[in-house]
Amino acid sequence: MTNDRGSSFVFRPLGEADMANSVKKYGFVIDPKRCIDCRACLVACRAENNVPLGSTRIWVYDQGVQGTFPDLSQQFVPYNCMHCDEPPCVEVCPSQATYKRPEDGVVVIDQQACIGCGLCLPACPYHARFLNPDTGKADKCNACLQRVEQGEAPACVATCVGGARLFGDLNDPNSDVSIALRSAQSAQRLPAVGIDTGPNIIYINDDVDEKKLAVTAPQIPAADAFYKWIVIPGVLAAAGAAFLGQAAAFARQLRKGESEFDE
Amino acid sequence: MAEEIIQFTRRSFLKGTAAALGTLGLASIGVGTAAAAPAEVGQLTYDKIVPTLCEMCVWRCGVWAKVRDGKVVKLEGNPYHPHSNGRLCARGQSGIMTAYDPDRIRFPLIRVGARGEGKFRRASWDEALDLVAKKMLAIKEQYGPEAMIFSATHNLSQPLFENLLYGFGSPNYGTQRSLCFNAMVVANLMTYGIEEPGRDYRTAKYIIYTGRNMLEAISTSETGDLVEAMAVGAHVVVLDPRFTKTASKAEWLPIKPGADLAFHLALINVIVGERLYNREFVELNTTGLEELAQEVAQYTPEWAAPICGVDVETIRRIAHDFAAAGPDAMAHPGWRTSNFVNSFQTERAIAILNALAGNWERTLINSGGEEGGVELGKPPQPPYPRITAQRLDGVPWKYPLVPLKLGVFQEIRDAILSGKPYQAHGWFIARQNPALSLPDRAKTLEAFGKLDFIVTVSVLPNDTEWYADVILPEASYLERYDPVYVLDNRIFLRRPVVEPIGESKSALWIYKQLGQRLGLGDYFQYKDEVDYINQQLAPLGIDIRAFAERGCWSPTLEAKYAAERSACFVPQSITFDGEEPPFELKAFKFNTPSGKIEIASETLRGANQPAVPTWIEPPEPEAGKFYLLTGKVGQHTQFATQNNLWLNQVYSENELWIHPKPAAERGIANGEMVKVTSDVGTVTIKAKVTEGIRQDCVWMTQGFGHRSMGLRTAFNKGASDSDLHVTYTDPVSGGQALSETFVRVEKA
Repeated sequence: MTNDRGSSFVFRPLGEADMANSVKKYGFVIDPKRCIDCRACLVACRAENNVPLGSTRIWVYDQGVQGTFPDLSQQFVPYNCMHCDEPPCVEVCPSQATYKRPEDGVVVIDQQACIGCGLCLPACPYHARFLNPDTGKADKCNACLQRVEQGEAPACVATCVGGARLFGDLNDPNSDVSIALRSAQSAQRLPAVGIDTGPNIIYINDDVDEKKLAVTAPQIPAADAFYKWIVIPGVLAAAGAAFLGQAAAFARQLRKGESEFDE
Repeated sequence: MAEEIIQFTRRSFLKGTAAALGTLGLASIGVGTAAAAPAEVGQLTYDKIVPTLCEMCVWRCGVWAKVRDGKVVKLEGNPYHPHSNGRLCARGQSGIMTAYDPDRIRFPLIRVGARGEGKFRRASWDEALDLVAKKMLAIKEQYGPEAMIFSATHNLSQPLFENLLYGFGSPNYGTQRSLCFNAMVVANLMTYGIEEPGRDYRTAKYIIYTGRNMLEAISTSETGDLVEAMAVGAHVVVLDPRFTKTASKAEWLPIKPGADLAFHLALINVIVGERLYNREFVELNTTGLEELAQEVAQYTPEWAAPICGVDVETIRRIAHDFAAAGPDAMAHPGWRTSNFVNSFQTERAIAILNALAGNWERTLINSGGEEGGVELGKPPQPPYPRITAQRLDGVPWKYPLVPLKLGVFQEIRDAILSGKPYQAHGWFIARQNPALSLPDRAKTLEAFGKLDFIVTVSVLPNDTEWYADVILPEASYLERYDPVYVLDNRIFLRRPVVEPIGESKSALWIYKQLGQRLGLGDYFQYKDEVDYINQQLAPLGIDIRAFAERGCWSPTLEAKYAAERSACFVPQSITFDGEEPPFELKAFKFNTPSGKIEIASETLRGANQPAVPTWIEPPEPEAGKFYLLTGKVGQHTQFATQNNLWLNQVYSENELWIHPKPAAERGIANGEMVKVTSDVGTVTIKAKVTEGIRQDCVWMTQGFGHRSMGLRTAFNKGASDSDLHVTYTDPVSGGQALSETFVRVEKA
């Protein structure tokens, strides 16, 4: 792993364009300050998704102990597939096995259609994909759709001991992810200057100290990370009241529909 | 065994999760999503959910086990259980691979090779149990019942284990406790009259941890509570020679080992000297402040600073801020604190700091614990035979203040080896691994060698099984019933989620079968596991079916919560709805001789111990040697989980932490193998060169260095601190002083 990591970063508040491109927009909000690196999420994901030994769909980046005794710091940053707005993995897939679900924005792999060519692995700038040795197909986080569709949180979120991982509809202003975003500074982690795939893991309370930028790169499952590391902080509150009002109205509509089923 | 498990329908599960998800931060995609689009949802990944209890550590979180085609496929935290609050740690999530560990013991085994050679043959239960009973009765006949030692790490089946032990007539009861928390428990008994005060983080503003690594030595609920408290701004001070993950999120004081006592005495010096304590509370609820004031007058911050390595200004600031937080301050009692023979004094000082803050029933609480709240029934049984023999561990004749149920486990080996006060001949070991847990493994193995007969009850072929004569396979916690678990005013049930592997059986079954063969059938008057549990529940007017849906039941909360969420669901929210309740000054009644918090303890005075905390100089390593420190990681529990394939993926091997300066002096680079030598042994282990530890210390986590070749994943991975630890016992609490072992480190 080289140390060619950027130290410049760009501020970009999250705007309407980030939020309004689908009816529902599932995403993760992660608070590294709450992550205790217990790795319960890794085991829960392995169990839930039958991830073979030696591979993992999600990971926690441990920057290691920084500083000189006794002035030390250490941060742990949970990662998984970013379910990007413009996922490069989708573009390169020759069999259209990888696609972004129009109804909620989750990037999934159709296991029947996947031919296991592996082109998507290097295409992902976050190195979130691997070739599953059991199936011979591409594999990655699917936001535990099998659980989400049954009303459960993704396995990593449900078990997170420190409450560092949240999941929900970023387009619903009343979702926990939206509430968390409103209450804290938020940032996306982009792989390099000019590479903005619209990642849908948004980090809150993140360490955007320039001095530490060089060490906050994720430890990616694949070797040889060469890309630069940039943090783009943005406060969701800046997204504007107009949008939130619209979304709230829509969410009310949704809930109205739901309650009939719930009685 | 005929228990009808009421299976969750999908609908009732969803209702449960919808209620629970409010605490999980997922209300927005809760029940509505699935209910609104039934035609589009995928297939359920499970057939049914069985609520049970975790046993990956001692905390017993509630579990919802998802089962498909007779196999357990996923574990979830039971949202109605206050220890899990819907979450499980990495160990809890890995329970499936403990049940499906390919190295499980499937059948009773009888040794055929030499001890320690690892050669066993398969036996039937009848043959194995007959042999165990024959050997135990022969020992009893020839040497008396006291010649059999019984030891077990505390578990829900403990009452039946005790029936076996005391019914047989032996006083020799080994638990894990003296290796663990004797100093903390005895100090709290002397001060508050309870074993361990509970903690309430909801108002906590200022928390001091003394060696307690709360974010890595995980109790899911309390660890989560700490994260919440930090998120809302509680100031956390961590005293630890090592930069732990807890330290990384707190004010870290890399204190000199053994000198935390000096630090706490200096805090008391400032708080008492400047009259910063909660005067009304102290006057109303404590005794002995004057005597304390006299004793601590000498322990100024100026005195303490050079001893403990924390500067005067910091000590004074922390004393002031702790006192200013008043009842919202908490000096955490810690856990495995018996690290120096002065740890008992440290624990007393911590207990007294809390009393000075006046935080009782505020941040420090009487949690009731496992004895509280619910009166259970049990099968009838005769009284135990009178036992007159002395205990081999020296309680109480050598350790008068140590409660019998705690004991001084590490002392038993000297008695075996010396034959004094009498010779032991057999050892019955249940779900415990003394070959790795006791200090000085060579001594433990030597003691094994002096015994005529060793029998173990275990899920895995762990290190102690490797030296056993007979191994009785216990079903894993996902395959068996245990007696019900009382927690405050709630009761919980561990029950089989899937069929046991091979012929493994529950402890309830094994102890009864063995008891009958030992002529102790009257102590085991139950037909089977379900019958035992129903006899426990009879006085409550319920039977085992009460646990079907949620895995828990409560007499007092049933009515209150029946209408809303769950019988047992008490939200463990860290914040209050609305305003924080104001502190109320009250007179409390404590279970001590004076009925008050005993700052000065007459019990201690009567035992010729200092009545108030006093400085005891801890030993120091000579030049060129290090303190050997040990502690936990968040991915493993003691000596039992290293073979778990999933936990192996997230923590596979231990390392020796060493500071770059002493490492460089010895030519040790990060990742290189080093040789570590103490007075009793040597190990080889990989070095982790890190700024995160004092220069005079090295650290390793316990539980690695397994010697049983039956553990194919864990065998020979890393090293065991038990090869290095020298046996030092605190004369007051009987705790093993784990940090008084000093080692040399060199390039391997």
